[in-house]
Amino acid sequence: MDCEKARDRFSSLWERELTPFEEGVVKEHLSSCPECQREFDQFEKAMRWLHSVEEVEVPDEFLPELYKKMEERERIISAEKPRGGWFNFPLPFKLPVQAAAMVAIVFLVLYLTKMMPMGQYHPKETGRPSAPLSVEKKSEQGLAQKETERGRGTLKIPAEAPRPKDVEQAKAPLPEEKKFEPTTPQVRAETKTAEAPSPKAEVLAFKQIESKEAAKAAAPSPEPGRIEKELLAKKKPIAATKPHQEIVLKISDREKAISQLRELVRQFKGEIVTIEGNRFLASLPKNSFSDFKKELEGVSSTSKTDEGIMRKQNAGGLKALHGVEKEAVEGKSGEPAIPVTDEESRIVVRILLVQE
Amino acid sequence: MKTSPKIRREVIENCKAGDERAFAEIVLHSQKKVFNIAYRMLGNVEEAKDLAQEVFISVFDSIKDLREEIRFDAWLTQITLNHCRNRWKYLKRRQYFNSDSLDDPIETEEGDVPRDVYDPSDNPETLYEKKLIQQLIQRGLQKLKEDQRELLVLRDLQGFSYEEMGELLGLPEGTIKSKLHRARMDLKRVLERAAH
Repeated sequence: MDCEKARDRFSSLWERELTPFEEGVVKEHLSSCPECQREFDQFEKAMRWLHSVEEVEVPDEFLPELYKKMEERERIISAEKPRGGWFNFPLPFKLPVQAAAMVAIVFLVLYLTKMMPMGQYHPKETGRPSAPLSVEKKSEQGLAQKETERGRGTLKIPAEAPRPKDVEQAKAPLPEEKKFEPTTPQVRAETKTAEAPSPKAEVLAFKQIESKEAAKAAAPSPEPGRIEKELLAKKKPIAATKPHQEIVLKISDREKAISQLRELVRQFKGEIVTIEGNRFLASLPKNSFSDFKKELEGVSSTSKTDEGIMRKQNAGGLKALHGVEKEAVEGKSGEPAIPVTDEESRIVVRILLVQE
Repeated sequence: MKTSPKIRREVIENCKAGDERAFAEIVLHSQKKVFNIAYRMLGNVEEAKDLAQEVFISVFDSIKDLREEIRFDAWLTQITLNHCRNRWKYLKRRQYFNSDSLDDPIETEEGDVPRDVYDPSDNPETLYEKKLIQQLIQRGLQKLKEDQRELLVLRDLQGFSYEEMGELLGLPEGTIKSKLHRARMDLKRVLERAAH
């Protein structure tokens, strides 16, 4: 037996696990090899020392300390439970709840943003979103609804706004009116007659109208023009528009002025559509209108175009026209007078006789 | 090697049912064994105490999962070894054993003792020398590989049979024997180096 094999059996020899034959062979080698014998002596000593190691006593208070640790652990776990409660929920539960919460937040934000600022702002802006919709749909029902909404909106302004602002609000529609001017006169003659203001207007006297009411009456005027434009696109006669031209004649003799007016209209191949007291609606060929206007100015000492009158109205100067329009509004349940132009070739003129 | 009598089956069953007195009985019965394995594996009293307490907390938490009460001792030793391995890794990462040398002062239950170079050939069997031998062995164990230390602790200090060790470590007896022999020879060399 060589040294290596003998040394591999030290443990077995020491534990007396070798067979008597094996033990004899190893012992024989050890007796013949002083190096292996010395190694085995060292091994035996190390094993003796190892086995001489006594068990260490458990430190005092081991069990009480263990209980303390367990209590502390319980406390930590119970304290962590409510805090980490949400995180401990399974995902299939958490995801729908989080999604629902997000949707709720979005709706809340939309609701708040819609409710808060829009209600106090210009009513035209609130009405605007529905306009393109109605055009798209091209349905009369939608238009009618829009019109009523708009009417409500415009009527609300003066009530909400303080008095000094009324005039400004009355002015506000002007740019829009101008914008729609080229198209507003596009209404048929039948419509004009149907939608003419009530003849009860004793408009000669300049009435003092409350600025609030004046604004109410004036504000809706550009709006129907807009609707009319939309309706005309569909070739449907709908009344409610403003005259393209309006002429105010200051006269001293009414009868004479009327006969002169009739004469002039006839002369320029026009026709008088309606007569309501001192208000006349005349339809004239477009190309002869300027001549007609010049001739008409000869009848009166002063004459003003529609734009001029409007400016005065806004400044609170000429209240008479307001009075007329107000009466027309009252008579037609909120709708203004409807002088309109014929299609393309003809123009409708509103002529107002004012006694000096 | 002394082996404590096995704990009664009823105590384990009562502990499984949540009886705190049964748990206390288990702790008192097994604490020495658990603490000593931990101490020999880690070489530090405080660490060993803390680890032994953690072991019993684990026992309390998971004893209801123990199916064979008869194997309680093996189950408890397994938990202890697992805790020791984890703690050893943790302490090693924190370089806890870096200054460990056979020339370093030895930590004992009575405090640190300056190391004397001891020649194993001298043999005055005094109490002081007995203590020194124990300390040398403890330091020698720390110098070995973890699996070698486990084998020496289980077989030479705790008196486990090869069969039990085979079950605990999941190794065949022959492998355990050969590994154990290498561990013993390495320990011998460590002790020799310390003596010279």
